[in-house]
Amino acid sequence: MSEAAKNLEQRTFLPDFCNIRIVFSVVVIAELLAIVLSLASPASAGSSWDYLSLASLFIQWIALISTATLCTLRPLLARLSNSNAAIAAYALLLLITLAFSEAAYWISVTIGTGSLTIAMDHLEFLGRNIAICAITSFIALRYFFLQYQLKRRIEAENQYRLQALQARIHPHFLFNSLNTIASLIRRQPRQAEEAVEDLADLFRHTLNSTSARVPLTEEFEITRRYLQIEQLRLDQRLKVEWQIDMLPDDATLPSLTLQPLFENAIYHGIEQLVDGGTIRCLGSFDGKTIRLSITNPVSGGDETRIRPGLNMALDNISQRLQAHFDEAGQLTVSRPQGYYQVELSFPYIPYRNLEPRQP
Amino acid sequence: MKILIVDDEPLARSRLQDLLDDIGGHETVGQASNGREALTLVQKLKPDLVLLDIRMPELNGLEVAMHLSRFEQAPAVIFTTAYGDYALKAFEANAIDYLLKPIRRTRLEQALSKIHRPQPSQLQAVTQATEELQGRQHICAHHRGGLKLIPIGEIIYFQADSKYVSVFHQGGEVLIDEPLKELEDEFPDRFTRIHRSTLVANAFIESLIKDTDGQCQLKLREIDKPFEISRRQLPMVRKLIASMGEHNNT
Repeated sequence: MSEAAKNLEQRTFLPDFCNIRIVFSVVVIAELLAIVLSLASPASAGSSWDYLSLASLFIQWIALISTATLCTLRPLLARLSNSNAAIAAYALLLLITLAFSEAAYWISVTIGTGSLTIAMDHLEFLGRNIAICAITSFIALRYFFLQYQLKRRIEAENQYRLQALQARIHPHFLFNSLNTIASLIRRQPRQAEEAVEDLADLFRHTLNSTSARVPLTEEFEITRRYLQIEQLRLDQRLKVEWQIDMLPDDATLPSLTLQPLFENAIYHGIEQLVDGGTIRCLGSFDGKTIRLSITNPVSGGDETRIRPGLNMALDNISQRLQAHFDEAGQLTVSRPQGYYQVELSFPYIPYRNLEPRQP
Repeated sequence: MKILIVDDEPLARSRLQDLLDDIGGHETVGQASNGREALTLVQKLKPDLVLLDIRMPELNGLEVAMHLSRFEQAPAVIFTTAYGDYALKAFEANAIDYLLKPIRRTRLEQALSKIHRPQPSQLQAVTQATEELQGRQHICAHHRGGLKLIPIGEIIYFQADSKYVSVFHQGGEVLIDEPLKELEDEFPDRFTRIHRSTLVANAFIESLIKDTDGQCQLKLREIDKPFEISRRQLPMVRKLIASMGEHNNT
């Protein structure tokens, strides 16, 4: 879907009134409203059919003209925020009702015979119609909004799951690791064995649900396994500095929050430098909040050459942090000269062992 | 066949070496761990084939191939990659052979058997494929028996004389034998032909000045002498400077 089309979808909760199915629903709702009104009105023999047909005519006109207007104005409405679009649509409906009521009144005054007479004075007629429109429109708009919210939530969840899946196994890492292992088998078989075990652990971890919570030590452990494999591959080019002693071991965080950050630091930073560099991981804890920063050097090259997947991965981690810690889970990126830095902060929540641990 | 192995990972290089030893019948003349080293070693050792990793820092395999194709007695090239579907389609379209890591011995044997000696058509295909995927970031010049790689961003202007083109850059001056026209066509957004024999970098254009005869000349940053602009090119140069001025103001 094009960017523009996507934005259109996201910005407005109003359904596409140009769509024939929506128009049909509007007609049905309008007719139901007419029926309700005629059922509710004081019955006088024979006249309720007349009332129904007049009411249907009147309401359908308003409904269809409103639909046509909302359809035409769709591009304009789409540029508004949800609340502004709602207000605009609401105002539009009231205006159209007012206009038609006014027209109907004048018709009845000019032609007015028999069933075309309106048995109330001008203002009362307008007032009632506006009120009916106001209430009905409000209900309709609220309904559309709730439907839209539900749809978005489902979409977000699906999108989120897809991203999490994509974030887990990077083919680049997988094949390079396998190549490294293949190379080690003849020359350093023990290291090859260890690398296979590390890789297995890593994938076991990544294949678990990313909504799982793990204690900080476990996350660091997995990250270290990952770095051990990469160390074999990159040798002297990869150096890592840790300053994380102050952090509580049992702090909870979503699984696979740290390892992808290191993976990015290597893929976009270390690997792009001929002589490699050092990744620094610094942690601080003030009793309530944990802060972690991961910094890597970057090559002086084009910033635009950074793989688009980087932002997606960061987005994914940021979203998961926020999902777990509500607004208190934060991920921020900064680019001090020659470096790329990712900072995480989240509240300290001790991990309570709820599930049986993997051996 | 004389083979040069190029990969930034030591274990990847040693694996290729092991495979070549298993296959036998070929001589590995050297190993390079980055693009610069690769170009220098090719010039020095003149291998028949280069096994070239795509993903390398600074100068990636594609750019190395682009430069290699301009060498005299250029070697054949087989790319290696762990994963990279964006490149593979271009390779397939141009019938370039590539090997996926970890490489199977039989696959390597197959690839080697297709290359008896460097053929012009292989190089052409390689150049085409690599240029489809990305542009050059450097100019490669043979300089004092060695190679000099000049980042495009450091080039101030190109000056052509009868046989060669001089490249004036922030670090000095070198000669290359690529025609000015080809350079102009390769970098249309970064360089402007102001004269039959001069191609200047837009980034170094300072201003237009008038000489004593009222002729328009171009002043470049870091260069004292002004440049003659051919009458035909003058309107285009004016337009360029105007649009650059606007860009700077916004």
